[in-house]
Amino acid sequence: MSSPQRGLRPAAAAEPCSAGRTWASAPTWFVGATRLLLSVLREIFDEAAYSRFLARHEMSSCPRAYAAFMREQEVSKARRPRCC
Amino acid sequence: MRSLIRVLIWFVIAILGALALGTIALHRGEQINAMWLVVAAFCAYALGYRFYSKFISSKVLALDAQRATPAERLDNGRDFLPTNKWVVFGHHFAAIAGPGPLVGPVLAAQFGYLPGTLWILIGAVFGGCVQDFVILLFSVRRDGKSLTEMAREEIGIVGGFVAYAAVISIIVILLGVASLIVVNALKASPWGVFTIAMTIPIALLMGLYLRRIRPGKVLEVSALGFVLVMLAIWGGQWVSQNPAVAPWFTLSASALAVVIIIYGFAASALPVWLLLAPRDYLSTFVKLGTIALLAMGIIALRPTLHMPPLTRFTDGSGPIFAGSIFPFAFITIACGAISGFHSLISSGTTPKLIRREPETRMVGYGAMIAESMVAVMAMIAACVLQPGTYFAINSPAGIVGRAPEAAAATIRGWGFPVTAIEMHTLAQAVGEQTLFNRTGGAPAFAVGMAHIFSSSLGGQAVMAIWYHFAIMFEALFILTVLDAGTRVGRFMLQDALGHVWRPLGRTSWYPSILATSALIVAAWGSFLWQGVKDPLGGINSLWPLFGISNQLLATVALCVATTIIIKMRKACYSLITLVPLAWLVAVTFTASWQKMFDSNPRIGFLAHARQLASSAAGSEVSRLIFNDRLDAAVTGVLVFLVALILLESAFLWMSVLSGRMQVRVKEAPFVPTRFAAEEQG
Repeated sequence: MSSPQRGLRPAAAAEPCSAGRTWASAPTWFVGATRLLLSVLREIFDEAAYSRFLARHEMSSCPRAYAAFMREQEVSKARRPRCC
Repeated sequence: MRSLIRVLIWFVIAILGALALGTIALHRGEQINAMWLVVAAFCAYALGYRFYSKFISSKVLALDAQRATPAERLDNGRDFLPTNKWVVFGHHFAAIAGPGPLVGPVLAAQFGYLPGTLWILIGAVFGGCVQDFVILLFSVRRDGKSLTEMAREEIGIVGGFVAYAAVISIIVILLGVASLIVVNALKASPWGVFTIAMTIPIALLMGLYLRRIRPGKVLEVSALGFVLVMLAIWGGQWVSQNPAVAPWFTLSASALAVVIIIYGFAASALPVWLLLAPRDYLSTFVKLGTIALLAMGIIALRPTLHMPPLTRFTDGSGPIFAGSIFPFAFITIACGAISGFHSLISSGTTPKLIRREPETRMVGYGAMIAESMVAVMAMIAACVLQPGTYFAINSPAGIVGRAPEAAAATIRGWGFPVTAIEMHTLAQAVGEQTLFNRTGGAPAFAVGMAHIFSSSLGGQAVMAIWYHFAIMFEALFILTVLDAGTRVGRFMLQDALGHVWRPLGRTSWYPSILATSALIVAAWGSFLWQGVKDPLGGINSLWPLFGISNQLLATVALCVATTIIIKMRKACYSLITLVPLAWLVAVTFTASWQKMFDSNPRIGFLAHARQLASSAAGSEVSRLIFNDRLDAAVTGVLVFLVALILLESAFLWMSVLSGRMQVRVKEAPFVPTRFAAEEQG
């Protein structure tokens, strides 16, 4: 699946959480829920779309790439209705 | 054994829901806790989702897990993209949740908490959720086609034209009303104006950060922007108390209206993406955060409702808007119960992201449940206020008078104790000069929210911060709706005018951009100006107009859905859309008739025009009379158009049911999904 979760770092499980604890010691459901929440937020805030844009154009993130992404987004986003 | 436990759990939920509903419906004379509303809502939504949406998905729509969705078949990594169902759910919810579910319930609270709450629960479970769900599924089965395209293909040319006209009308009216809410929230409020003004440099900073420093890190920059906005709110207090600076940010309603009209035009016609895109992200960030905060606050603090279940204004003499419960409670609360606008989102971006057909149930039906819950929270925020305070904030000067003592006396005369001194103390506590005549719903919601939070988080000392946080959230979000809506309206107009003269349809041709932007802004700007100059506060006439147009769009969506269900040879199940359709026709047509022809000048546009004509003369009066006639004409045209689509649909249904017409639904051909095999493998 060309998933919006692509941008999540696979090493997240080994990252320190707080006070020396790691994600690995956190309950599985908590890690899963946090990842899911991050995926949702990354999709809502277009971070996932930007990752897909970079992958599609085989580019790395830089001001020029982001400007190109914003131009591509402009037309489709401007036609998207926003609810009351 | 397991199934027995499940049955028992659902039985307990049903009993608990009945108990909660019974409590909120039958309690008289005593105040009740807001948690009864939360429990009733939770149980109603849980039962609706588990049983009703299951019935619709299996019996009516026959969701097919083996069928590939357009996201899979047409996957281009951009618009069409198979996406995790929870991600689509969040995306869809963020798109449908706006100021509507917050403002409508606050206004409808003038009837008491009971009518609005019951309508939110029943309307959502049997109407709004069903509409969003079926339109989403039908769009998924048609390669993500829009509502207007489906109306044209499944009903006919008239259906397509009416859907288009309804969409553009509702956009214009929505923008006019939304901007009026902002004006009423920010007029004579240097603190609020300063905070909103500060979002411009903050957004520009965010834009520069995004483009130059950390490209694409939107979540990070939105969090940074949020911190800066909180600092701006804190700084606003200093501005409002500084006699040298405060006058710069103290604007009258007319001045604010002019600024907003210029802003809307600039946002549509000029390439100001460095400002608009980051501000869009910021407003979404604040919106999701505020909704989560409000939910947590209500559950943690469990406030008491001071508003009675029913007020004396059920007779139609309400000060906020005139008209009896039927039909006006049902058009005042649109978003949160059933909103036609959602059908545009359900047939817009969302169907192009759905990975598997059965996921439409959770996304379509489920996200509307979440939106409806937001409406229940808004109802709670309004009803935790003392009724006297609520009516003092929301009643227009034309009804209660401009002088605080006179206004308070009028409200006391209605049986709701309040004094001018209490209102002055409250205004000081929230950092405002006055809270009288702040129509529009936003200030009352903000005071309610501040009231809930200040009872624990920071106490009375930070009530002003909470109030201005809520005002900033609503104004910021509405301004984003305003610039996005103006651009959508401009594109729609360009698409239509392109059929008349091709260059006008070119979205990059500047004369066309300027002309169509000016037309759209002039259309909603005239409604805004009318509201600002209206002695009754504008909301009295414009919010019902918005509610009518929104519900008429829902009527169009339900017509399309019913037609498709009948064409699917499932006429016996068409009641799932036909019943809400019949209800909406009854509500909107009655409301439209009353708004046009009722003899009470506070309800009927034409009666009000006649009253003005007989009372005085002058250019101001002539303009008010023209506005009334314009509102009546707009209402009449909308009803006429929807009557056309109803007639065309009914004719089609009769032809299909009697066998006179052989039809088939225009779905995309069946293609098996590869995800099913992947999951099994």
